[in-house]
Amino acid sequence: MGLGPFDDVVAAHHPEIYRYLRRLTFRASEADDLVQETFLRAYRAWQTLAPDANVRAWLFAIASNLARNHFRGESRRRRAYVTVGERRAEADPAGPEEEHVFRETRALLDRVVAELPLKQRLAFTLRKVHDLDYEAIGESLQCSPESARAHVFQALKKIRLSLNGHELPAMEPTR
Amino acid sequence: MTPKHPSCRAIEPDLVATATGEAGAAAVRRVDDHARSCAPCRAELGRYRAIDAIARGLRDSTPPAGDVAASRSALQARLADLKSRVLTYGIVPSPLGNILVARSELGVSLVEYLGEATTLAASRLRALTDVETVESSTEIARLRDELLEFLAGRRQRLGWRLDLRLAGSEFRRAVLEAAVDVPYGAVTSYATIARRVGKPGAERAVAQALRWNPLPIVVPCHRIIGSSGKLTGYAGDKLGLKRQLLDVEGVRTQPAARDFRVARETMYVRAGDDRAYCLPTCGDLPSHNLANLTLIASRASVEALGLEPCSDCRPDLHPLV
Repeated sequence: MGLGPFDDVVAAHHPEIYRYLRRLTFRASEADDLVQETFLRAYRAWQTLAPDANVRAWLFAIASNLARNHFRGESRRRRAYVTVGERRAEADPAGPEEEHVFRETRALLDRVVAELPLKQRLAFTLRKVHDLDYEAIGESLQCSPESARAHVFQALKKIRLSLNGHELPAMEPTR
Repeated sequence: MTPKHPSCRAIEPDLVATATGEAGAAAVRRVDDHARSCAPCRAELGRYRAIDAIARGLRDSTPPAGDVAASRSALQARLADLKSRVLTYGIVPSPLGNILVARSELGVSLVEYLGEATTLAASRLRALTDVETVESSTEIARLRDELLEFLAGRRQRLGWRLDLRLAGSEFRRAVLEAAVDVPYGAVTSYATIARRVGKPGAERAVAQALRWNPLPIVVPCHRIIGSSGKLTGYAGDKLGLKRQLLDVEGVRTQPAARDFRVARETMYVRAGDDRAYCLPTCGDLPSHNLANLTLIASRASVEALGLEPCSDCRPDLHPLV
């Protein structure tokens, strides 16, 4: 049996889907299970997928759906949050002074994101980390692109509030 | 936080969009105009820009390469297992009733007469616990079209890759592989197949294997008949379908006691693997017992096999009508 098209899908998208789910779960074994389930589901539905479908967005939608089911219990989410705090603290050794503020803020932001309501957290991660457009995020969260945009906006506002009083690195306007 | 001025609250969505590079030109202008005269919003714009930059920086944090590779290989193992178990199927309405066609990654694995039934509930797939089914009429569209062409007599070959895992045993598989070789428009006997699979005398076992043939039509068990020339049986109790299929291929049949018999007098004869074909009345044939003969319905089928006319009975000079 040669490489079928689905093997190409795995080759192209596994690293990113893994990264996404790993970021959401923060525990390798949980991420492993969700990644496997994502691609097994995708394989079952692969044959009925429209030929012109956006495969990447479709995989993110399956992964997001599974993640939402996974986090249905709030307690699980809390556990994930506790783990992230520990992990990030270890993973961020002190660097050069000019990077320090940036790194520290990133660790803080990571924790704030982990505490966001799930839809906002997923929307924010899909937009900022994976650069999905709002239409694709809407598909992932089973909402309209406008709602997806609103989730990201709300997430940004909450992050902004949480970082109140915290020193932020100075940024030049990008446009 | 101190309460914001209404104009600041109103500009906030545009401000966030501007800071994150998602605002249109008009919104950017509105924010610029507002921020010029509002120091707190100017500061706010800077903070949102910083947050956006830091958030985008999360892209750079990647999980350890070893973890990614381990996840990938665990996934490959589970996928390989799933792929070997998934059958994609569709149900095709045909002149022979509804026919379920299923295929795996390896090839077509099931062709099943459903009669009037239109759902998987009527299929033997339901009883298979180690199989996962996925319905997709688009995936089997090509198979459907070719099958319907075949049943209408517009196609003589279904060149499908086959997955014989549903055969059930090595012996049954060998029988199916031998039956595949019986050409279009021809019939031979269970005894011939028994000999071909190295079990001379095992006609009954061959007939049982063909009764459970998971791939009727494509593995043409309808071309295998009794040594007496009677059709004998087909897929349990579907003798009528056997007759219909033979009719499509130009093999004529006549009613016989509670059965049908092929009209041997209308068919050319090939003995064993001879390169010659004869008239049914040829005196040169070693035996007229169907146990070692193949009957061929038409000159076209004979020629498709590349056979030479027998120099004794000269079927080329005295064609059957």
